[in-house]
Amino acid sequence: MAVEVLEPFLKGDTGRNTRGLLRLIILCTIAAAAVASRLFSVILDPWFNFRATKYLVQNGFYSFWDWFDDREASHPVAQLVYEPRKPAEEPKRTRTWHPLGRVTGGTLYPGLMVTSGIIYHVLRFLSMPVDIRNICVLLAPGFSGLTAFASYLITSEMTTSPSAGLLAAIFMGITPGYISRSVAGSYDNEAIAIFLLVFTFFLWIKSVKNGSAMWGALTALFYGYMVSAWGGYVFITNLLPLHTFVLICMGRYSPRLYVSYSTWFALGTLASMQVPFVGFLPIRSSDHMSALGVFGLLQLVAFVEFIRQQVPNKQFQTLLRGLIFVVFVVSMGVLVLLTVSGVIAPWSGRFYSLWDTGYAKIHIPIIASVSEHQPTAWPAFFFDLNLMIWLFPAGVYMCFQQLKDEHVFVVIYAVLASYFAGVMVRLMLTLTPVVCIAAALAISSILDTYLVAENPIPKETQANGQATSDSIKSAADVIKDSLRSTRNPVLGIYSYVSKASVVGAVTTYLLLFVLHCTWVTSNAYSSPSVVLASKLPDGSQHIIDDYREAYYWLRQNTPDKAKIMSWWDYGYQIGGMADRPTLVDNNTWNNTHIATVGKAMSSREEVSYPILRQHDVDYVLVVFGGLLGYSGDDINKFLWMVRISEGIWPDEINERNYFTARGEYRVDDEATPTMRNSLMYKMSYYNYNALFPAGQAQDRVRGSKLPAEGPQLSTLEEAFTSENWIIRIYKVKDLDNVGRDHGSAVAFDKGNKKKKTAKRRGARVLRVE
Amino acid sequence: MRWFVSLLLITLLGLVQGLSSTGSRLLVVIEESSEKAQYSTFWDDLEGKSNNCRGYKLTFESPKNDKLSLFQHGERAFDHILLLPPKSKGTSFYTITGDVDLPSSGLGPALTPKLLLQFINQNGNILLTLSSDSPTPTSISSLLLELDIHLPPDRDSLVVDHFNYDTASASEKHDVLLLPQGSRIRSDVRNYFGGDGTIAFPRAVAQELGNSSPLLAPILRAKSTAYSYNPKDEAEVVEDPFAVGEQISLVSSMQARNSARFTVFGSAEALENKWFDRKVKSVDGRDSKTANREFAKQITAWTFMEVGVLKVGRVEHHLSSITGDAPGNDSVAQLGYLNPTIYRVKNDVTFNIEISEYSYDQLTPLKVDASDALQLEFTMLSPYHRLDLVSISQTPNSTVFSRTFKLPDQHGIFSFRVNHKRPFLTNVDVKREVTVRHFAHDEWPRSWEISAGWVWIAGVWITIAGWVAFVGIWLWSEPAYEQSKGKKMQ
Repeated sequence: MAVEVLEPFLKGDTGRNTRGLLRLIILCTIAAAAVASRLFSVILDPWFNFRATKYLVQNGFYSFWDWFDDREASHPVAQLVYEPRKPAEEPKRTRTWHPLGRVTGGTLYPGLMVTSGIIYHVLRFLSMPVDIRNICVLLAPGFSGLTAFASYLITSEMTTSPSAGLLAAIFMGITPGYISRSVAGSYDNEAIAIFLLVFTFFLWIKSVKNGSAMWGALTALFYGYMVSAWGGYVFITNLLPLHTFVLICMGRYSPRLYVSYSTWFALGTLASMQVPFVGFLPIRSSDHMSALGVFGLLQLVAFVEFIRQQVPNKQFQTLLRGLIFVVFVVSMGVLVLLTVSGVIAPWSGRFYSLWDTGYAKIHIPIIASVSEHQPTAWPAFFFDLNLMIWLFPAGVYMCFQQLKDEHVFVVIYAVLASYFAGVMVRLMLTLTPVVCIAAALAISSILDTYLVAENPIPKETQANGQATSDSIKSAADVIKDSLRSTRNPVLGIYSYVSKASVVGAVTTYLLLFVLHCTWVTSNAYSSPSVVLASKLPDGSQHIIDDYREAYYWLRQNTPDKAKIMSWWDYGYQIGGMADRPTLVDNNTWNNTHIATVGKAMSSREEVSYPILRQHDVDYVLVVFGGLLGYSGDDINKFLWMVRISEGIWPDEINERNYFTARGEYRVDDEATPTMRNSLMYKMSYYNYNALFPAGQAQDRVRGSKLPAEGPQLSTLEEAFTSENWIIRIYKVKDLDNVGRDHGSAVAFDKGNKKKKTAKRRGARVLRVE
Repeated sequence: MRWFVSLLLITLLGLVQGLSSTGSRLLVVIEESSEKAQYSTFWDDLEGKSNNCRGYKLTFESPKNDKLSLFQHGERAFDHILLLPPKSKGTSFYTITGDVDLPSSGLGPALTPKLLLQFINQNGNILLTLSSDSPTPTSISSLLLELDIHLPPDRDSLVVDHFNYDTASASEKHDVLLLPQGSRIRSDVRNYFGGDGTIAFPRAVAQELGNSSPLLAPILRAKSTAYSYNPKDEAEVVEDPFAVGEQISLVSSMQARNSARFTVFGSAEALENKWFDRKVKSVDGRDSKTANREFAKQITAWTFMEVGVLKVGRVEHHLSSITGDAPGNDSVAQLGYLNPTIYRVKNDVTFNIEISEYSYDQLTPLKVDASDALQLEFTMLSPYHRLDLVSISQTPNSTVFSRTFKLPDQHGIFSFRVNHKRPFLTNVDVKREVTVRHFAHDEWPRSWEISAGWVWIAGVWITIAGWVAFVGIWLWSEPAYEQSKGKKMQ
């Protein structure tokens, strides 16, 4: 009996079931590992998304849709019911984009919040009351488990090897390139978007393979979800048409392709237009034109195919030529006409900056100023992907060997994503899935070859080879005699030594990979940005908590409605932790508004003060790392403020004026007058001299000695400086009560006597009433 | 409980019987208490011993007094200050800023310019009197410099006018100026200093007001024939007088941004008893009695906040519907409750503000001159609307101004702002922040209400109908298999 049960173990029907069960268990374990590796430290960020989710959960979807600002007290649409009722007690004021306000529902991708909201309601329905905050914190790790599963699915479509999918899943689960955006508490759009990206690609491949309208519709559905979740959906919008286009060019047009692409395009475009933030972009912006163009091309190709079946060959040639000409002329004419008349928007700046890395720096500094839009440094690839980065080309090569429709997709994806990842650090995220897939293909083929215990039997393989070669058509049949190694059919490895050494090496690499991932995740990607940690000389950890100290100070010591001006990087944190309105935050699309803040920071006090008054600014917050050597401070970001405001006011702000004659960016004695008179410089170094013996003031970030005499401020007064001087908050003075300018008021307070205008020179200025 | 409240009210009423709207504690800084008697009528008028009850509580202090302090526990110890000029030179011992080089002629440690400025910043009012007989303390002159009021550089300068002087008392020196009461400085400015009398200004110190500060306004200006000179240095000929003609301000005012008032009175002597009720004779020989007493009352009343004080009552705004085309606000009906925090773009909104004016002893309805207007701004960064407010109703104590308008087509954080700043009137700066939101998704007209959309709607339905029809025909039309194969291609 036992023999009978054991014999088909892992072979027959039971074997398939057992393997399926094993695979499921492995996948679940992988998902668990993916979640677990993201729990090193938890800090919820960005706050805005969390607040938006809270609003959604509290007020319902429609109210979220029409949400104007983030007053939590009242429901904006409820006011339409004109019932005389007592107004709620003083509601909280708008916290973002003062005073322009934010049409929040129309300026964000709601997918993330809606996902959390649905999970929240489902759990409540199941009588599991979970705080929405916990859902938000664990959403990204949870979805990373799903991403691992999705990469298993997509890899399994590529190869018959069962191990490749599992390897891809575990790679995807723990690679730092993905963990960087999905640690617990990282509640950003990317948290769910990567899962959607991979899953949409899986559905697409499935639908191309099957030529099924159902899979195409599912692709469109998840594409719509992706559009609602992340601006990076444009990547899909362009990658799928490119895949189709390449297939057509390769002469691989098929009704399967026609059905899947047409279904996806029609339904997907409609779905994407339902997101208010996207609206009519899919038919108006150039970024989406390729999808439309390929759709049109596909119709033509299908039409031509149809005609070819009807018409004799010779006439068909003439017809085809004429048709191509007419279509080309007409479509070009229409495109030019629409672009000139402005119906189709020109390419967006982000798009240009993808092709020309210097473009953004010159034309749209606001995009270039974001650190994650910088070109990637080479070590970052190895840091984020480790061994996969050198397995990646091998995997792509293996795709070339087989080169079915789905492999073409992987190849295109690989080429595009590696280019984009080189252009922007941020797009490393889109490269990661394809790297995982390719690396899994490579590793699995190595393991499949070397991890076979039995020796191959050449005769049998030869004999059975004919029968099985239909299904697994090796490259040797397709690419004849290209490489010597492919001339003969692959048989296998005989030597146990080589088997053991190769398998051992691969195992070591994989273990090292796990070690590397754990190390990177715990050291680089799990340190919250608001709390800085440093090591003291004796090795103990020292926490620098200036940010929270300052935000708490704001919360406790300023009036509820006090408006805080800071550079936009700190907008969300001030809104969330200090609970005060800000002028600009991390999501401000209004370039002019940001430039206004930049102008106020980079101009003289006399210029800045009216701007501050006009915007009702009560406090100005700057980040200064000079004392501690904290390099992410505002003086280091200052040039971006200058550049961004120069873009709007080229007459008033000039970047050149902030550099010395020799083109150096300095803060010491040689700093230019423009630099030293700028509000940012003054706020950063105000009273800094007092910390040091006379003439010894030192900036530890820029490593330079500061001028002996510190800057003077007259329109602002220092309100708060945190323990390590990282955050400095200044209060904007009111107009002088007796009508003096601030300079003379300060001089009077210091006891400098005003000189009597003893003898007037020139004509008298008479007072006219 | 009610009797207790009323008792409390009565007690409070007894306490607050002064006329000033801000308080009745008046500090008079006078160096020699013997001089007090010269101003006795003035004191009586202020204290209200005669029939009109002004009820100031006067405290006489010498600047030399060490215990004198304008503040107690960080709060003002007095509501108003009246500074009389010190009699003799160099009596004081402290300089203001510790500059030892300067000839010391301060007013003592309690009255440094910094403290006086702080007194103004804390809503205290100051009436400063000058005299050509005594030097102006450096403390005062540096304070005036801060306020952009300039005094002659020489200590003994005074104003003369060879065409408008009192022939009875100054037939030689021409230094007692006779000026008519009641000239207003600008046609659109309220005149609180009017009257028919003649004011005598003996030995006045000229002031010149700077041009830049909008807070300064002259109350009494010299005639165009007057000039300022120093009788000691320039007895024979005046080459470059400090100020001439109407540029000379004899009484000038500065109303700070917090509405604290500061008045410079050019001639302390004019407040003495002897000039309050004296016969003077003008150049053209007319005899008249001086109106100094009344003028002094007007000046002190204005400086000490008895007149020209605006008080804002209720400020309301609400959503309204315009029901007809009746004039004014008759056709406006209120929707919803008062003072909501959020409106939508293009809402009709009504703004009401109630303003009273304090006039000696009561609140009266504010009347805005025809040449002037009370304006409402609806502003975000810059005003989107600037509208004249219309008076719609009056109570015995106040006027209600109102305006209904359509909100601009721009969302954001707006504020209703009434920023009324006029010389001699206290500042009104009322700001009410409201949010103006965009249209909600269900506030747009439905698609079928837009006639231009009918084409597209028709297109949609025709497509749907055509597709359904096609499916129906496809499903129900059985292909004729017996026919030739070519039909299959349809």
